[in-house]
Amino acid sequence: MQTKKPRQPLQPAQGFAVMRRDLLGLAAASAAWWCGMGAAQAQQRGGAVNLAMIGEPQGLDPMVSTADLVGTVMQHVYEPLYTFDGQWAIAPMLAEALPQVSKDGLLYQIALRKGVKLHNGRELNAEDVLASLRRWMEVSPRGKAVAKEVEALTASGPLAIEIKLKAPYAPLLAQLALPTGMAAIMAKESLAPQIKEFIGTGPYKLKERRPDQFIVLVRHESYSARKEAASGYAGKREALIDELRFVPVPNANTRIEGALSGQFHYADLLPVEAAGRVDKGAPAVVPIVTPNFGFPYIVLNTQEGVLAKPALRQAVQTATGQAELMAAGFGNPRFFTAEPNFFPKGTPFYADAGAKQYNQRNPQSAKEQAAKAGYNGQPLRIMVSRQYEFHYNIALVLNEQLKKAGFKTEMQVVDWATLVQRRNDAKLWDLFITHSGVFPEPMLSPPQLGEGAPGGWDTPAKKVALTSFNQESDPAKRGALWGRVQQLVYDEVPFIEVGKFNSLSARSAKLQGYTPLFWPFFWNTSLAK
Amino acid sequence: MLKFLIHRLGGALVVLAIVAVLVFALTRLASGDPVALLLGDQATAEDIAQARVQYGLDKPLPVQFALWVGELLQGNLGQSIFLQQPVAQTLLERAEPTLMLALLAVGIAALIGVPCGMAAAIWRGSPSDQLLSSVAMLGASVPSFWFGLILIQLFAVKLGWFPASGYGSPDASFAERFTHLLLPALVLGVLNSALIIRFTRASMLDILGEDYVRTARAKGLGEATVMTKHVLRNALVPIITVLGLTLALMIGGTVVTETVFNLPGVGNLVVRAVLRRDYPVIQGTLLMIASVYVFINLAIDLAYTLVDPRIRLEGK
Repeated sequence: MQTKKPRQPLQPAQGFAVMRRDLLGLAAASAAWWCGMGAAQAQQRGGAVNLAMIGEPQGLDPMVSTADLVGTVMQHVYEPLYTFDGQWAIAPMLAEALPQVSKDGLLYQIALRKGVKLHNGRELNAEDVLASLRRWMEVSPRGKAVAKEVEALTASGPLAIEIKLKAPYAPLLAQLALPTGMAAIMAKESLAPQIKEFIGTGPYKLKERRPDQFIVLVRHESYSARKEAASGYAGKREALIDELRFVPVPNANTRIEGALSGQFHYADLLPVEAAGRVDKGAPAVVPIVTPNFGFPYIVLNTQEGVLAKPALRQAVQTATGQAELMAAGFGNPRFFTAEPNFFPKGTPFYADAGAKQYNQRNPQSAKEQAAKAGYNGQPLRIMVSRQYEFHYNIALVLNEQLKKAGFKTEMQVVDWATLVQRRNDAKLWDLFITHSGVFPEPMLSPPQLGEGAPGGWDTPAKKVALTSFNQESDPAKRGALWGRVQQLVYDEVPFIEVGKFNSLSARSAKLQGYTPLFWPFFWNTSLAK
Repeated sequence: MLKFLIHRLGGALVVLAIVAVLVFALTRLASGDPVALLLGDQATAEDIAQARVQYGLDKPLPVQFALWVGELLQGNLGQSIFLQQPVAQTLLERAEPTLMLALLAVGIAALIGVPCGMAAAIWRGSPSDQLLSSVAMLGASVPSFWFGLILIQLFAVKLGWFPASGYGSPDASFAERFTHLLLPALVLGVLNSALIIRFTRASMLDILGEDYVRTARAKGLGEATVMTKHVLRNALVPIITVLGLTLALMIGGTVVTETVFNLPGVGNLVVRAVLRRDYPVIQGTLLMIASVYVFINLAIDLAYTLVDPRIRLEGK
């Protein structure tokens, strides 16, 4: 049994891992399987699990909100046409197979799986898919971005659709696969501006939501699983646990205590300082460390104010010491890496372009650059919130680094709601601190790579670099093209990538078969007695 | 009595009208945008502007205020932006744990505070009095989050006697929910008992110095009779006041305890609504909390009249 295994220590940050969460948990689960101890129990059906999440999701409509929490919960209810497998490769989910793409890369022909049952008992058809994708392109921030690329969306049969593009758009399938801002396929009759009935095809269906208390999902008895072996989010999905209870627990300490006391079977995103306490909970509690979980970044205002001048943004970059900022944000080096590559080694998008411009921490050179660019002492307004303590700690050190380089600075410490509002007004700030998850496709984040994001980065060079990157469908060539985009970010400095951090979560040893990934999921997971 | 009641009710309505204006104004003066939070990081300014129209947040503030008051007069507290359900329904769901918690905590506070305060007054200046007064002082100074965490560590994590947090599973029985309230009620009860001890002691000492107590003793009445019939009964007015106010404070002010124990109560709702800038929930909840304060004060006034007829006469 896993509970009898010796406690495994938390591991330091490693290179990019296919499985992003719980390398330890995965190793433990494999070991249990090889010992022949887990197999019988891993298939056990029944029970209810309490899953402590970081808060109440921003609604239940996964199209409307791009928040991770909404996607995490609702990916059990809704499924997309495509998803990511264990190697972060695109794999079919509701689609029968990968699409037939025309040679010019403009026409995607997608066949749907036959006999897929919706939660209301009806079979899924092309009309549901078309209506869902149209709604996605109208209401979802991600869908709207895709809509700009789409020429036509039509049904080519009762179980087949076609997407015709205006120009080749390589990130299309990744956009369709992402669980946040999700291109969720819903029953046509349930579609409305504000969804009241959440009818999807997922292995679980919504039973009850009591805001700030729980969201209860129960097994979809007529679920039509794929035949392929499970891999990442792809392949066979099986609802082994009767009831999933997502409990919002915003207070991290309460999540930790709940996990240690056995009340929660899973506790999401704990502060890294709690690693020792989680470790002490073994063997009943298993720590989950996910390397390269996310990256903090500093957005610079390219639209208005002092930093609208590219040379001054470069001076800010020269003054910045990212290694110091990561140390301030995450303390223990086993929870972060400071490296210039935006994507970790071993991934198709690993590139060392711009490495010389990373972690310079050179106040003298920054001062000279600023003087040359005509800096005349206007204060740089650094906007930051304490919602995420590491944002604040990074801002404090950045402030000192900039002051050392001769910049006048002004810290604007606001709450998260205020920051989210103010960042959309270019007149109110010069830099702000935020973070994002490391996704398998560069165009999924940060939003500054797209259009209309805070900071207003919009230059001819950006258009050229991103157009050629997005229109190239050959994965090998895309890797090289990404290097050019990364170099451009270092040259034009619309944002400064600080580094990559690892996340910490915890699960009960009773929760078996758990596959650790970025958006945690609980199908193919069972509860030991 | 009727005149007294009408007079107090009129005053209460004026207070509530002022609260409504203040709550609306202060909520809207604070920066932050519920829609931006709702849509997430990938939403552009254009998406946000579109959604603001959907929620009526693009209208001028006086129009928004008039619409809100209009709805209020029809008994509608509005619709939560974030939770997408009526505010009244949200409040109703949250009222139960908060009320239960507050009543349980006040009960615990009274059970500890009144006898200890009486004992301290009766044995004034003795080591028992000094000990009780010191404990009361200590109790009043302990932060509730710290005390809560200690109790969770001890009774939930180490001993496993009580759940660490929450308000029970979706299909929880009354008994199960009750067990979830015991630890937080103990935190609030013990910490608030400090105040009750001090009030009871002071109030008892005041009464012990009165002529009629001396007269009662001179008449040869037993000490127990003097204490219960003459001293305690008269000391009850300030004690009822402080118990009532403690209850009222708890209904809106159990924020920290509710947060530590992740109880889905009113205090927790207010904090989360403020962080989410869920205007209708903030406005509705604060108005309801103000109403509870006002009406508990009214109830205290009425209780006075029952305990002390002189107050009723003054109101005439």
